[in-house]
Formats: sequence, C-alpha cells, structure tokens
Amino acid sequence: MAELTYRDAVAAGIAQEMARDERVVFLGEDIAAAGGVFKATVGLLDKFGPKRVRDTPISEQAILGAAMGAAMTGLRPIAEIMFSDFLAVCWDIVANEIAKSRYMTNGQVQMPLVIRTANGAGSRFGAQHSQSVENWAMMIPGIKVVAPAFPADVKGLIAAAVRDDDPVLIFEQKSLYPMKGEVPDGEYVDELGKARVLRRGKDCTIVALALMVHRALAAAEILEKEHGISCTVVDVRSLVPLDTATILAEVALTGRLVTVEENPRLCGWGAEIASIIADECFWELDGPIIRITTPHIPLPSADQLEDNTIPSVERIVREIREKID
Amino acid sequence: MNIIMPQLGETVAEGVVTKWYKKVGDAVKADETLFDVETDKVSTEIPSPVAGIVAEIVVAEGVTAKVGATLAIIREAGDAKAAAKPAAAAPAVASVAPAAAPVLSQAPSGRPRVNAADRLSPVVRRLVAEHSLNPSDITGTGRDGRITREDVKEFIARRGSRPASAPAAVAAPAPVQAGQTVAFNGIRKRVAENTAKSWQTAPHVLQVAEADFLRVDQARKLHGAVWKAREGFSLTYLPFIVRAVSIALGKFPKLNASLQGDGLVLHRRINIGIAVDLNFDGLVVPVLKDVPAKSLPQIAREINDLAQRARAGKLRPDEMTEGTYTITNNGAFGTVITAPIINQPQVAILSADGIRKKPVVVESDGGDSIAIRPVGVLAQSFDHRAVDGSYSAAFLAEVKNAIETRNWEQALES
Repeated sequence: MAELTYRDAVAAGIAQEMARDERVVFLGEDIAAAGGVFKATVGLLDKFGPKRVRDTPISEQAILGAAMGAAMTGLRPIAEIMFSDFLAVCWDIVANEIAKSRYMTNGQVQMPLVIRTANGAGSRFGAQHSQSVENWAMMIPGIKVVAPAFPADVKGLIAAAVRDDDPVLIFEQKSLYPMKGEVPDGEYVDELGKARVLRRGKDCTIVALALMVHRALAAAEILEKEHGISCTVVDVRSLVPLDTATILAEVALTGRLVTVEENPRLCGWGAEIASIIADECFWELDGPIIRITTPHIPLPSADQLEDNTIPSVERIVREIREKID
Repeated sequence: MNIIMPQLGETVAEGVVTKWYKKVGDAVKADETLFDVETDKVSTEIPSPVAGIVAEIVVAEGVTAKVGATLAIIREAGDAKAAAKPAAAAPAVASVAPAAAPVLSQAPSGRPRVNAADRLSPVVRRLVAEHSLNPSDITGTGRDGRITREDVKEFIARRGSRPASAPAAVAAPAPVQAGQTVAFNGIRKRVAENTAKSWQTAPHVLQVAEADFLRVDQARKLHGAVWKAREGFSLTYLPFIVRAVSIALGKFPKLNASLQGDGLVLHRRINIGIAVDLNFDGLVVPVLKDVPAKSLPQIAREINDLAQRARAGKLRPDEMTEGTYTITNNGAFGTVITAPIINQPQVAILSADGIRKKPVVVESDGGDSIAIRPVGVLAQSFDHRAVDGSYSAAFLAEVKNAIETRNWEQALES
C-alpha cells in the first residue's frame, strides 16, 4: 500500500494499463507535455513517448472521433475530456456513435474505449466548468459509467474500464484530486458495477457518489455522535451497471433511503435509485425517500454561493435530522 | 395562533374566503369547520387546526387573500400573548406574501389533519399485517407519535415467544357476541381484498377429480413411525400432493402461469404456495420454491417449517412471494369439496379436502370387486381466461396418475 493522491492514482492507473498492454493509448488536451490541467497525468509522456501519449488540438469532437476510430481498429484508447461540461460539445459521438456501434454491428465492432473527465463543483469554476453530468451519461444505453470517490478506486476502476470491451465513462470529481488515500501497490484491478458499503447503521441508508461520499461519511459521523442517528453509507461507485442488489439490501436493512447527489435535482441519478427502491423495496420502507441534491440552477462561481448550492455536510445533517424520526 | 390561507394545490396562489362559520369571540374546537375557501380549482371547508377563541377575523367574507396570508387569529387556551396582541400583524389582505417556508408549513392542509399514529409506513403496514397486530396496541416513538419499524419490532420482541396470531387473537373469538362488529385485522383485510378482486376479475371454473391414495398410504405406513421419530413431525399427505402437482405442472405449463394483458406469462420456476390458516384468524400463503429441484423428504420438511413459522408469524417476506400455483387443504373438518378462489395473479388453485376410506370398485381380470381405499378429492379452480376445461382436466388426470402410480416408498428414501 502506498499513500497516493486521487490525481496520482489517475496517472498510476493509466501507467499500469499502458505498461501492460501496448494497445492502450492516451489522448487529450494538454495531457502530455503539460501533464494535464489538473496535473493528473504527469510523467506519462516521459514514460510512454509521444506516439502513445498525445496532446490534441482544442476539439473535443476530434479527441473522441480519433479515440472511437482507434478503438474500432484495434487499439484501446483512453481519451480525456478536460471538463465534463464539454461532453456537450461532442455528445453526438458519445451518445449516438460510441454508445451504439457495438450493438448496431451485432458485435462485429468492439468499442473498448475509456473517456475520463473532470466532473463536479467545489472549485469555483463557474456554471460551465463545474457541473455534475454523470446523469447525462447514465441515461444513454450503451455506455458504462463510473465515478470513483477514493484514490484506490480511481486506479482500480481505470484499469477495469480499460480492460472492458464496452465504452466506459469515468467521472473524476475535480475537487477530490488533492485528496490522499491508500492505494494497493502493483497491479490492481477493480470491478465495474459494484457499490461499496462504507459504514453500517440502523436508522437510514445514505447512498452517495464521488465527492458526496465524503460529505455523507462526515455527516454520518456527526449524526451518530451528536444526534444519535446511525446511518449506513453506500458508495455507489458505478451508475451503469448499477449495483441494485447491494443498494436494495442496504435500504431494506434500515427502512430509509437518503440519496446525496451533486446532480441538479431534476433527473439526478438519485431519482432513478428512488424509483427502483419504490418499485422493489416499497414494503421495507419506513418513511419517505429523501433526496438531497443541488437545486435546479446553474452553479454560481462565488465561493459562498457555490458552497450553499451543492449539498454540504451541514445540510446533509440538517435534512436527515429534520426528516428521520 | 394565526390562521392562514392554506396552499390548496401547487399552482394555486390565492383564494377567496367565502364564509366564516365563527364570529369574533366564538369558541372553536380543533378540527371544527372554521371557514370556506374557494380557489379557481376547488371550493372546500377548512377546519380549525387548534381549539380556542376566535380573537380576530382579518380577512372578511368575499375577500381574496394570497396563500400564506393571515385570515384570522385564534387565541388558544392559556395563550395570554395572543390575547394581548393587538390586531397588529397583517393589515387585511393580499400584501402578506407567501414567501417564507415556515409560514407555509403552519398552514392547515385542505384535508383534515391525520393523526401521525394512524399513518403507517409501508414496512409498518406489512409487519402489522404479517403478525396480525393491532396498531393501536403499539406505542409510537417516532415524530408526533408515529409508529416506526423499530416500534413494531420491539413490540413483537417484547411479546416474546408467544406465537404471533395465536392465543390473544384466537382467544378473541370467544367474547365475540352477536350484534357486535368485529373490526378486520390487517391480514383479514388483505384476504378480503384479494379474494374479492380475484372473484370479480377471474371467471372461476371448478373441476374435481378423485384419486386413490393407496400407494401414498402404504409409503406413509411403512415410513411413518421412523419418520416421526427422526423428523419430529408427522408425515402428512400434503408433501405427496405437492410433489404430484409439481410433476403435473411441469407438463402443463399454462397452469403455472400468470395472466398479463392479453397473454399468459408461463413461469420457468414452479413455486407452490401452501395456504396456512392462522387459527381462524386469517390466511397466509408461504411459498415452497423450485419444487421440482427438491426431494420428497425435503418438501415435507420445508412445508412443515413454513407452516409452523407462518402460524408463529415468523415468515420472511420473501417466503410469501413468487408463488406460481397454490394448494389449499381444508381436510381437517371432513369437508367433501371446497371450491377455492384463485390466488391472483396465478391462474389456478387446488383444494385437497380430506382423504377418507371409501368403498371402491376395483377392476381386474378375475372380475370386479369392492375394496376399501383411501380416496382423496382434488378440486381445482382455474381461470377460464387462461385455459379451458379439457386442459385443466388433463392436468388433474396427471396429478391423479402421479399420486396413484409413483413409487412413493423410493421417493421417501431419496
């Protein structure tokens, strides 16, 4: 085990896969010479050379078009979209081409490609560079979607994504890049489609993703110590495939579901989980489902406004205190 | 307390007070109608949220007020402050904005207020029904006295080893007197709803076959004593019937099915529900799953276990779901035939009434003779939308054939 930052775990995961399989290539804006605008890909150019680690022009369509072509012709590319907001620029390639080609060719074309992108708020980047858009990806049939909360998961899920024959989108929460955590040494591969139970309580089950996992854990600590409310915390990790078995089981144990989402409220990923729980777990529910989300507004860039917009530890504590008896 | 214009629909911003039922100085009881309000969507009576004296009417009849605006002030008993307070607050009408949430949250809803203790969550409803509890016996510790899941679990735990539905519930029928109304418990309510719905939607056809249980009886006699000593319970006819039915269902999949829209969903698994009577106080149907994969002794053990736990109110919820066919057994009282009601969404149900010794004509090459045989009645109700009489009859013949010809002794040794 080594202690790595979330950003170092990105580089470690990519390096592990590039060293293992020379078909793995990496491309994106400023990812090579500059080591990434978030410094998450430092050293890869030196290690693997300019043929496999490529800076591209500022064109998201070019990046994903090239990655898609590479994947169709035998490589296993990793493409970076600098800010997840920019997925909107190249969404046709993601939603219509990358997501559908394997299906529409009856499996004759494989699409083993990975799109990594910096997602989410908390870093004062304003309305066009701070959105949480993992729910956009979640609603497109044909792509897998993960969002790691811990450095170890970053490394393990990047490895799992690269080895998967379907396209996988990895949403890295940009405010987590400096965060440190234990990461297994040597070759480490995780599994797509598995949630993780981080803490067990008896009063409610908090289901969270990425940055919100850390806030949910902090809130659970306060709720337990100061208010006598004990919470289970589940890190969803993978939205597609979704580990419904774990989520259903954990909600059934406490009888209450709380989702903590950075998505704006309408059609955030928690809505889908709420719907699944209402369908399949209704007779285990001991009270209404609680969704704690960013409101349906563009994100402000001013510090205090942004802090008041995405769910904070205080807000999670308050909402759970108010609604759980 | 300030009485405010309630929110009478999400998009409704204002309403007209059309009638006051009280004048200033009148006493009003909690939940007594206080005023009528009319919006572009509804016209409704609004009850007083508290008991007290009407201290002031701020908005007169015929005047429009915004949602959240103060309409009147009620002085609650012991509320000296309200009494002393001058007409201050809201000068008449519209100007009081609905703005802040706290104001709205005080609003009495258009409907009469529901006692939190009467509002049961899904899991509490389920537990109460499964354990045949009366919610009013349980002390709610949740907000506003709401009964939580933990409250029910604690109540069940405190009641200890006493079987859930048994003594208290069964003792209850005794004092029941003619002329009295007996309120349904949760299970009774569900049975009532489900049977009525099934009866109304599914055209039931009853079909009856007789089966000779000689070979079953011989196997029971041969193994019965050892079985009882080893397993601790008696070997009844039921496991044999369940096995025979599962064999027949494998050959007649349209009876192991559910109706859906204009089609029949044929189930891959054969999961047989066994109706268990809770001492005259309701009925539950635990489900024996994947019957074809189980040995006869295993079927016997699992039925015994399910029935015992059903009577003790200790079934897990997943043990009552996913049934694909149901068997009910009313034999204990010597009835001849019971026409059962289909357990929706299944399409057929079998009632096995008592197996009794009867004189039977036995045909042989040497001529006919009369023998004494254990004869059982297999009465199946099927949904005529799903299948027709000949299909059902062929199925019954298959069940009968299995009962009469299988090597049951060998089956018991597996």
